[in-house]
Formats: sequence, C-alpha cells, structure tokens
Amino acid sequence: MEQALVVSTMQLLSQILVNGVLLGGLYALMALGLALVWGVLNIVNLAHGALIMLGAYVGYYLFTLLNIDPFLALPLSMAVLFCVGYLLQRGILNLIARAAMFNTLLITFGIDVVLTQLAQIFFSADFRTINPSYAGSNFMVFGVTLPLVRVLAFVVALALTIALWLFLLHTRLGRAIRATAQNLGAARLYGVEPKAIYALTFGLGAALAGGAGDLYGVVSQINPYIGATLTAKSFAIAIIGGLESPLGVVVGGIFLGVVESLTALYIGPTFVDIASFGILVLVLIFRPNGLLGATT
Amino acid sequence: MKRALLCMVVLLVTSGAAFSQEIITLGASVQETGALANTGRYYRDGYNFAVEKINEGGGIRVAGKTYKLALKILDNQSDSNLSVRQYVQLLTQDKVNFLLGPFASDFALADSSVAEKYQVPMIQGGGASDQIFNRGYKFIFGTLPVASKYFESTIAMIGKLKPAPKSIALLYADDAFDVSVANGTRELIQKAGLKLTEDQRYSSNTSDFSTLISQVKSSNPDVILVSGHETEALNFVRQAKSLDLNPKMYAFTVGVPTADFRKALGKDSNYAFGMTPWVVSPANKDQYFGNAADFARAYTARFGYDPDYHTASAVADVEAFAKAIEAAGTLDPVKVRDAISQVSFPSLYGTIAFNATGQISLPQTVIQVQNDQVKAVYSQSGMLSYPQYPMPPWSKR
Repeated sequence: MEQALVVSTMQLLSQILVNGVLLGGLYALMALGLALVWGVLNIVNLAHGALIMLGAYVGYYLFTLLNIDPFLALPLSMAVLFCVGYLLQRGILNLIARAAMFNTLLITFGIDVVLTQLAQIFFSADFRTINPSYAGSNFMVFGVTLPLVRVLAFVVALALTIALWLFLLHTRLGRAIRATAQNLGAARLYGVEPKAIYALTFGLGAALAGGAGDLYGVVSQINPYIGATLTAKSFAIAIIGGLESPLGVVVGGIFLGVVESLTALYIGPTFVDIASFGILVLVLIFRPNGLLGATT
Repeated sequence: MKRALLCMVVLLVTSGAAFSQEIITLGASVQETGALANTGRYYRDGYNFAVEKINEGGGIRVAGKTYKLALKILDNQSDSNLSVRQYVQLLTQDKVNFLLGPFASDFALADSSVAEKYQVPMIQGGGASDQIFNRGYKFIFGTLPVASKYFESTIAMIGKLKPAPKSIALLYADDAFDVSVANGTRELIQKAGLKLTEDQRYSSNTSDFSTLISQVKSSNPDVILVSGHETEALNFVRQAKSLDLNPKMYAFTVGVPTADFRKALGKDSNYAFGMTPWVVSPANKDQYFGNAADFARAYTARFGYDPDYHTASAVADVEAFAKAIEAAGTLDPVKVRDAISQVSFPSLYGTIAFNATGQISLPQTVIQVQNDQVKAVYSQSGMLSYPQYPMPPWSKR
C-alpha cells in the first residue's frame, strides 16, 4: 500500500516535470523573437504578444479555410509575419532606431494596441482553436502521458532555436546581425548597412513570433487579447535566459515551465505568477545577464 | 410665397415637437472591447434590442405622458476601474435616468457601489456573485441566479445517475463569482454525501492546466466540476483530452451553452455538462417579444449570432425598468427603486420578481452537449432526458 503510494507520487512528479519541460519549449519559442530584437535593436517589443496572436490567426485561417495542417502552415505563418515585421521596422520603428528606451516602449505599446483592435474588428472576439484531428492525441512512456502536439511543438521550438543559433554563428548575415548588436560603429566601418540589418532582424523576430502563435493555437485558444500575457511571459523568459544566445532563451523557457508546474503542484495554482515573476526578480539581482550570461 | 412660409412654420413646429419628445435614458458601461468583449456583446446587443422593441410598441406611459427609451452605452475595455469611472460619468455628466449593468461579477461588485452612492437604481444581468447582494445595498438588482447555487441542480442530478458517482474534484478561478460558486458548491457536495477529493483554486486567465489535470488524474475522481471562464473551459477540455483525463463526467459553469464553445472544440465538446437559467422555449411568454423562441429567432436574424442566457438576462433588465417606471408613475429614482422591488411579471427569460437582497430566483437547467447539440437533461422538476453518462474515455470516441 505504502509502496503503491510512493510509486503514484513518483509518477505524478515525473508527469509534472514532463509537462513543465514541454510547456517550457513553447515558452522559449515565444520568447526567442523578443530576445533577438531586444539584443540587436535594443527595443523591448511590447507588441511581441500581438505578433504571436497574428501568427495564431494566420495558422487558424490557413487551417480552417484552406485545410492546411498547422505544422505545414508553420513556414507560411512565419513568412507572413516576417513581412509584417519587416514593414513595421521599415515604416515605423526605423524612425526611432537607437532612440531612448522610453520612446521605443511607447511606440511598440501603440503598435500593440492598434494590432489588437484591428484583430477584434477583423477576426471578432470569438474564441478560436486550431483543432486538427490529432490535436488531443497522446502516447505513454514509462507511465507518463505525452501529449502529441506538445511534443511536436517542443521539437519544432528546439529545431528553430538551433537553426537561429547556427544562422547567427555561421552565416554572413548572421555575423552582420551580431556585429551590429555588439558594436554599431565598427560594423558600419566593415560595410554593414544597419537599416537593412535592423529590418531583417525585426522581421526574423516577428517570424519566430508567428511560428510560436501557430503552435499556440494548436495547444491553447486564440482571441485578439491573448497578446498581453504572452508579451509578459516572453519578457520574463528573455531576462531569465539572457539576450546573448538563443540557447539561453531555451534554458530560461524550460526552467520557467518546470518552476511553474512544480509551483502549481506543491504550493498551489494561484501562486504560479508569483513564482515566475519572483524568479525574474532574483535573476535580475544575482545574474543580471541571464542564467547563462556572463557573471560580471 | 405665402405657402412656402406656411410650410416652413409647419415644419418648424413639427420638428420642435419631435425634439421635445420625452426620453428616459438608461446608461451602462459594457465590455465592447478587451478580453471580455466576447460576452460583453450579449449585453450591448440585448439592451439595444429590448429598447428598440419597447419603443416600437409605443414606449412607456408615465403618469399620462409617453416616453421613449434611449440608451447610453460606454465601452469599458474590460477594465473594471474604467467601468467605475464611466458609471460616475453616466450619472454626473451624461445625466442618465437609470443604470443597466456591465458583464461579470467583478465589475458589478464595484459598479453597484456607484449606484448605491448616487441612490440611482441599477438592474444588472451580468453579475451573480453573492458578494454583490449581501452588503445591504438598496439600489442593486440582479437577474442572474445566485452564484452559490449554480451547481445545485447538477449535484441533484448526480444523485440520480447510475452508476452513482462517489467522488468529486472542484476547480475554480480566483475571482468574486467563481469563489462564491465554490463556497456554495462545497456545502452542496457535503450535503449530498459525496467525497471531495480535490479542492483547487487557480488564477483567472490560466491557460495551462497540465499540472492541475495531472493532479486530478492521479486522484481519479468520478466527477470534475470547473467554475471558471469560457477560455478556461476551452483550454481545460483540450488539455484533458491531450493528457487523457477520463472522469465519468465533467461540468462547467460557463461556456457550454454558447455556440462559440461548440464551434471552437468541435466534437470534443460532446459529453460536457453545463447549465443555463434560460431555456429557449415558447412557454416563456413575453409582453414585448411574444415568447422566448420568437425572441431567439428575431435576435439571430438581427445580430447574426445566437443569443444565450446573458442576452435574455440583459433584455429582462430593460423590461424590468419599463415595468417598474410605469408602475411608479414617476422618474424619481428612489420611487422607481421601490417599484422595482415590487415588480413581478413573466418574461422571455422567466418570472422576474426580486427578493429582499435584490436577486431573482431562477433555477439552473443542466445541459449537455450531445452530438454537437445542446440538450437539456435535468431541471428542478427532475430528469428531462437521461444524459450520456458515463462519458466514454477519449481513446474510444
């Protein structure tokens, strides 16, 4: 009897840990774009959640109108959001490039409000889901239930992160982006055109948001107002993970997912936000460059 | 020339008459945008439809004079602080005569204090929390059933199911309405002799239920009751499926009656239990709309989506004002308030008569989604049709 209890407690714990890790993968993908834009352009994009929301609607309409599977729609959703991001940067954000942080916050907050209102006008406030037939499927491994779409979303998130990492490290364009982030003056001397790099980076950040939104629609629900909380979550993860490398963001996302799940189990589901933002504060105090960042 | 002059005089006089027509303005602050816009529209459209209909029928007679109703609706952007400010504005600047309510208990709880302070009656159909009504306020009236009794009919039905459920998990959001529901439900569960295996409060707007679901799954209750918001009900069902949670039944306070819920979930919405205080039936007669079924048809034709109990509750609020103002024979807010406390009339929503605390008594009918359709299964009078119970495990659907 006692042994059975221990087994079931262990099983619950491993289930919770798995839940947390899978949730964290999606969190990481959401935060990746925000961290990239923040690191390179020094813009904390408050409209990031709204871009995730737009990505989710793109995935939703591709699925319901054209019957395109959400995982196949992922590149499309990313492409659409890349264009949105590129145009936003070229048309609006370039006006305030390298301006004071406060101005960038104001502008991106404004963009967030506009995008949210437009979404309500065009998509209505109805709740939507991207619900392919396999959305609720799962499989068992060692007594732990693994939801199929969450596992897939996790794998996609990881793959995109690694792709971004390799892109930044090993391509000419990636190096130009990093150079711009590290030393704008020096990058200019070597022939990097910052305007183009900024627009490209913002487009990339938006594309990542688009991908995250598409996956979010498969595991959760979509309405025009999901953006604000997703921005807050992405912000916390970007700080916890640090802005220096995409891998830091993944670590931050998974760490936050696990902490949230354990908090919900052992302390109570109402304490989840206290735990995640508490960690944010602790990280800012003890490791201001993120968990994987330099400790100077 | 003379004729033209005469024409102008006639025009002036008649238009003057049109301007001087007596108007009673009802004011409300409603969630037209923001996170609650999806339900807020039921109130905006319900108020408008009722006012139009009453005006079409000639308006209301007060002490021998005919008045038309008018509406002043402000958008509170789903922000309860803004809502309070807007109600103050409605009374002090816009000088509306009476107040209709916002959606949701948190809002009604705060906004009713404005009505009380200015001594102007508010009839609201969007807040059910007991907290709104147990503060001894005189100027707040509500047309939703009492929150603490939301699950009463569901638990009565549970006693009649075979095989009989023995254990229950109760999950609820941490806002005024859902906490009231949970407090009442806990007592009901105890009285029914059922075992409460999980009693968990979660944050409003939680989107990830995986921990909660895993926890419930390991304690394996027969019944799961969820008191939360529609988005939470949606996420809960989706994640219950993906984590293979298979209770004998689950029931939700909100979401299940709406078309939106079924559309978003597709066939996964099947077997979910819910509740509604309003049944669209021709038996619910109404002075202005004929009956509930006629009303529902006309509403769908006019607004392009189906009404639910929120709409019916909103319409009943406007009708209650019409009846009370006519009975009072004056626009004096305190006298109208007294008349409201005395009204008793049949409406498309049910019988409207307020008790001493200002609420109406309206039993919840238990509903279940069966083959993508909402079906009434249990009411106060007993079983209407035996529900699909126990629900099959996800793997067998």
